[in-house]
Amino acid sequence: MRNLLNFLAKYNHVIVFILLESLALYLIFGADNYHNIKFYKGFRGISANIEKSVSNSRYYFGLKEVNDRLATENNALKERLAMLTTGKEYSTWEVIDTSLGRQYRFFEGEVINNSVNRQKNYITINRGQKDGIDKDMAVISADGAVGIIVASSKNYSVAMSLLNIDMRMSARIKSNGYFGSLSWDGVNYLEASLSEIPQHVSINVGDTVETSGYSSIFPEGVMVGVISDYYSSGSDFYDISVRLSVDFKKLRHINVIGNRLLEEQTELESSFE
Amino acid sequence: MINNIIKYGLYAVILVLVQLLACNNIQFSGYINPYVYLLFILILPVDTPSWLLLLVAFLMGLIIDIFSGTFGLHAFATTFIAFIRPTVLGLIAPHDGYQSSQSGLSIGSYGFKWFLIYSSILVFVHHFVLFFLEVFRMTNFFNTFLRVLLSSIFSVLFILLFELIRRGK
Repeated sequence: MRNLLNFLAKYNHVIVFILLESLALYLIFGADNYHNIKFYKGFRGISANIEKSVSNSRYYFGLKEVNDRLATENNALKERLAMLTTGKEYSTWEVIDTSLGRQYRFFEGEVINNSVNRQKNYITINRGQKDGIDKDMAVISADGAVGIIVASSKNYSVAMSLLNIDMRMSARIKSNGYFGSLSWDGVNYLEASLSEIPQHVSINVGDTVETSGYSSIFPEGVMVGVISDYYSSGSDFYDISVRLSVDFKKLRHINVIGNRLLEEQTELESSFE
Repeated sequence: MINNIIKYGLYAVILVLVQLLACNNIQFSGYINPYVYLLFILILPVDTPSWLLLLVAFLMGLIIDIFSGTFGLHAFATTFIAFIRPTVLGLIAPHDGYQSSQSGLSIGSYGFKWFLIYSSILVFVHHFVLFFLEVFRMTNFFNTFLRVLLSSIFSVLFILLFELIRRGK
């Protein structure tokens, strides 16, 4: 007994070390997701408020640019409106399925916290359950796809950014319709990679990559980026680099899209898995 | 003793604020993030009891984790450097040993070169543990390693800058 006590006294720091590191590992791996940590939720409110004030002050200095971008977007929308109302160039205009509008719900929101320098980047949004935001909704900006909501509290939501090494998204090449899997390799925040495009398909630098709609989270045809480089590796598939259309470093205004029929689709599909 | 608690408590608060409000918003070339809050673990007095050092480091890391949404990553890495700190201090001990005092370590205590080596070792180990635990894979080893190196350089620079300001006061 005495020996044991001596031993404990001598190595108390090793024991403390092991205990603390186990606790840290439990936090990292045991509670894998944003949902499971109880104490985290309480702090989330405080930290979200601090982040909000920091992001507000930063936002103030970028107002001019935001204005310009909104004006450009406004302009584009006006042009489309004019085209629709006058019926001009009707023949080249895509027919919009009105049922699609009912399938998806749109919410506007602002990014209050964001990072691009981690391997697993998340985005915090100032809209939450009380606004109708829920898990598995898509996040887009005026420029294109941004991420997927992974958790939401009363007032805030957290989205997994495209810049997250765990992110997998179904995307297709607009010109030929071939779809593959879009992921991020954690290197450059401007570029993602598209895999699973077979080598018999002809592709070009500058081809548009958009969402395929197969994941049922993103609607079909949301801009993702353009092909910036590709090469044929030893396998049957291309290695394609995609320059993302969204600049994650100055992300501010976003839209969240909820698919009303998501549950129905996944339920039906799950019986075949 | 009470003085020390107040003094280091104040340093902890200042460093956490600087880390969260300033350093977490600095992003050189997209993915380098300096971690200046480590200075807190560096400057604690030589004769701080090991268990206290570990506990304080763990809490410091946990606070950074909570506010940056990284669940235990920083807590693990800071606890780890707190554990190896006595060994590192032993390895680079000055010729006449450390003066046992509660005044804490600083850039002024054993010279600039000593402090540079001391902070570089601990910052590098911290970043190595942090970044590899974050990706948790060995693919892209050299890429992650490059991030460790570059971020370490920036963290050490910021820590030295902070130390010089602290000393100047």
